[in-house]
Amino acid sequence: MADLDNWRADLQSQDVETRAAAAENLCQLGEEAAEAAIDLVKACADEEPVQVWAVAALEEMGPPPASTLPQLIELAKDSQAIVAYWAITLLGRVEDAGAQSEGVLAELLLHAPDISVRERAAWALGRMGPKSQAALEALKTAAASDSVRLARLAEEALS
Amino acid sequence: MLTVMFTALSGGGVGGYLNPNMPILGPLVQGARQQITSLVQGNEHLQNIVQGQGQGGGSAISATTAGSVQAVSNRRAPDKITIGTFNIQVFGQSKLAKPDAMSVIVQCIRRFDIVAIQEVRAKGDNVLPDLVKQLNADGSRYSFLIGPRLGRSVSTEQYAFVFDTTRIEYDPSSIATMQDPADLLHREPFAARFRTRTSAPDKAFTFYLVNIHTDPDEVKQEVNALGDAYQAILSQSPPEDDVIVLGDLNASEKQLGKLGQIKGMRWVVTGDVMTNTRQNKAYDNIVFYGPSTAEFTGSWGVLNFEQEFQLTRDQALKVSDHFPVWAEFQIWEAPKQGLFAGRLGNRR
Repeated sequence: MADLDNWRADLQSQDVETRAAAAENLCQLGEEAAEAAIDLVKACADEEPVQVWAVAALEEMGPPPASTLPQLIELAKDSQAIVAYWAITLLGRVEDAGAQSEGVLAELLLHAPDISVRERAAWALGRMGPKSQAALEALKTAAASDSVRLARLAEEALS
Repeated sequence: MLTVMFTALSGGGVGGYLNPNMPILGPLVQGARQQITSLVQGNEHLQNIVQGQGQGGGSAISATTAGSVQAVSNRRAPDKITIGTFNIQVFGQSKLAKPDAMSVIVQCIRRFDIVAIQEVRAKGDNVLPDLVKQLNADGSRYSFLIGPRLGRSVSTEQYAFVFDTTRIEYDPSSIATMQDPADLLHREPFAARFRTRTSAPDKAFTFYLVNIHTDPDEVKQEVNALGDAYQAILSQSPPEDDVIVLGDLNASEKQLGKLGQIKGMRWVVTGDVMTNTRQNKAYDNIVFYGPSTAEFTGSWGVLNFEQEFQLTRDQALKVSDHFPVWAEFQIWEAPKQGLFAGRLGNRR
């Protein structure tokens, strides 16, 4: 996968066109881009020409490799909502294997400033089948939210 | 001369199919809201005649194995229309800057009288105007409707309809982004009512198109919501019996949930026909109520532009990761035969 490695490196380029081309090339790998999951999540915070392809790549990529989970958990706490949103989405896609992220997701569910992050945290916990007390308590709180979508996702996660 | 007309329609101020209130998803009924950008070319409203389309030949394609899949021709039949759906992956500035990819996109769209487009992704508003300019470079008279930017994050998408104004006209008051008070859908459907241009407008085929791109992470919930969306459109006044849901469903025919469970509902892509460029997914489809939409001729297909234009897989992926899907319909409204009146009570 020399190409994949090159494109991952290109995502760090100083030149936005190079970064955008790298994101586009990674997007066109489909599920094979999973090895670049971390790079693509970070690229969501990039300029629009890069961001649009990074997001498209993440949408089509499927679950990330297990080796990326620790970094994804860190990225889930990112101050940029779109980075956190996609990190959480990937954590949710691994379902039970993402259980180590329950504590972080519970915290985000309660306190993330962006509603899309809180909603995605509820969704991800639902995919995992929450087991920790912290996650269950956070979901119960979220289920009483005024946000229709957040409350529904939390209720679904609890059920 | 091309003119770009920006029209913002409110839910209450415009009479028509979807006003004053458009009951959409869930129990709450809210007014339609939408921001519509419409590129209106020339005197598109002046003629109600059907004109033959296309010069030259060209057969078409469908590189699929299902027996019912037909080829879509460059030469469109005057007594039929071809409705397509095309997810043009990340359709924005970078794609506009690729002449080879744009050439394929333009040639594909010219096979259709009207096409629902998903994944317009750009901060600027020039993408559809630039596309239509390229479409019309050969004398064609395409126009478009585009919806608002939708999405849960800062990365958003728009839906669009692109249509041949010599063949299709739309009801300006019918255009709407569906309301979703329960927030079930990531990108709420973009709907509009169209009519074929014929010598007898009162007998012309009228239909709603409901353009959708589901969230791949919440497909089950979203296709169920589309069942509600379909029924909400049916409840509009004046009534329209032909409601066609089309787009990137991220679901195969076997995963259509509540939408697919409506008795009588049919979908064109079936069997082992794949609709993506990698040929391993059947996520794009055209779905409608069979007994009512008797205008469907039975012809449909997947426009495999990789084969049609002899592209490599990498070249094809530069165009999109989805192939267009199309279906053919008669231009005349089929007799309703009492079916429409009884439909709401016949669903399971």
